[in-house]
Amino acid sequence: MKICSPTIRKSFFVFIIAASVASQTSAQAPKKTPSVINPPPTAQDWADLAKLPDWSGVWNPKITDQDAQVKTNPPPWNEVAAKKIEAMFAEEKAGRPRLIFSNCLPEAHPSWMLVTHNAMEILFTPGRVTMLGESDGNRIRRIYTDGRAHPDVSDPTFHGHSIGHWEGETLVVDTVDILPEVPLAISEAAGVPNNGDMRTIERIHLADKDILHVDLEIFAPKILTKPWKTTRIFFRQRARKFDIVEGVCVQGDLAERVNAEGDHVFVPVEKSAWGNTVSVPAK
Amino acid sequence: MGQFTRFSCTIAAFFVLINGISSVAAHHSTTMFDHSKTMTITGTVVELRWVNPHVTLTVNGSLNEGDTPADWLMEMTSPGNLVRAGGWRRDAVKAGDKVEVVFSPLRDTEKKGGALKKMTVLATGEVFTANIREQEKPGLE
Repeated sequence: MKICSPTIRKSFFVFIIAASVASQTSAQAPKKTPSVINPPPTAQDWADLAKLPDWSGVWNPKITDQDAQVKTNPPPWNEVAAKKIEAMFAEEKAGRPRLIFSNCLPEAHPSWMLVTHNAMEILFTPGRVTMLGESDGNRIRRIYTDGRAHPDVSDPTFHGHSIGHWEGETLVVDTVDILPEVPLAISEAAGVPNNGDMRTIERIHLADKDILHVDLEIFAPKILTKPWKTTRIFFRQRARKFDIVEGVCVQGDLAERVNAEGDHVFVPVEKSAWGNTVSVPAK
Repeated sequence: MGQFTRFSCTIAAFFVLINGISSVAAHHSTTMFDHSKTMTITGTVVELRWVNPHVTLTVNGSLNEGDTPADWLMEMTSPGNLVRAGGWRRDAVKAGDKVEVVFSPLRDTEKKGGALKKMTVLATGEVFTANIREQEKPGLE
């Protein structure tokens, strides 16, 4: 018994073939890239950390040297950036300092190293060096020392993507993928957005038993005429009372109060356009 | 989108913008204060806000004898820097303590405020300073 005409049978056959081909194609198309797995550290990995130089403790910056380098070692700004910086210095001198790090955004890299007034600590774990800052909740740099390369696809962040390796007792750090909006700052009132393609090479090492040097070479082709080299200095503190504690920048915008319902709440304080606190609501 | 809705959105965006402008805490330069001038007031602590990135101290007092006492808002560096550079503690003072504060005033003299340089607790004679550049050596205690 014929259940369908030759035309229908032919159509059905073509459909089956097409479906089969489509099925094979779809099975091949989404070839999944295998995940890169970070291996668990071995006992040897942990033991190897002991061979690294001792960078424990709390490191606070030499601010007077930051101040001095504004004049003694200015970045080679291009013409456009130089004009902006000059205007910012004029405004600062007039008592209207530009708020470079507004809205509690991180000072970011490399300005954290360049102009910070706050301390940091440096942690070694297998495959990574981590810098933790004071004062901003999100002041953190992850420097990968596990041999990885920078990612193929750029994913810009405030502190960029950092890979490092040890040359003797010096940590050499290469950082890329920094957000173009991140300023290259030389003070808290003078800095311009890097506008993209910024890269830094750092050589971090002990210059003395308790003095850390961060030698930076900064490539910022959109705002500098050539790479800029500078060294930033940090002092080690070991007194426990100087241990870094949590610091959330935006807390400075808020006062701790108890509302009518008896709840402990934060309420806004008044700030000026330059960032200083103008008034605090009464309790 | 209706005309009223568009208008409402515009108004809402305006207030979001205004709120954004009034909330700009950050690390900032201190040239809004006139560092060429130094003033001193003696008064009563209203509040010490032990917060990042800038601690504030409100003191009720007057510049000149006979002036009506008013709240003066002193701004300082961060808690960590105050501990390292000026010997501060979260409980260095509490509301009601009598203090003498030395400060550089705001250039805007309409506002009562300044950058604190030194605070003396009158009951104990304890002195606290606020110069962040006084921590530039290792091994501080």
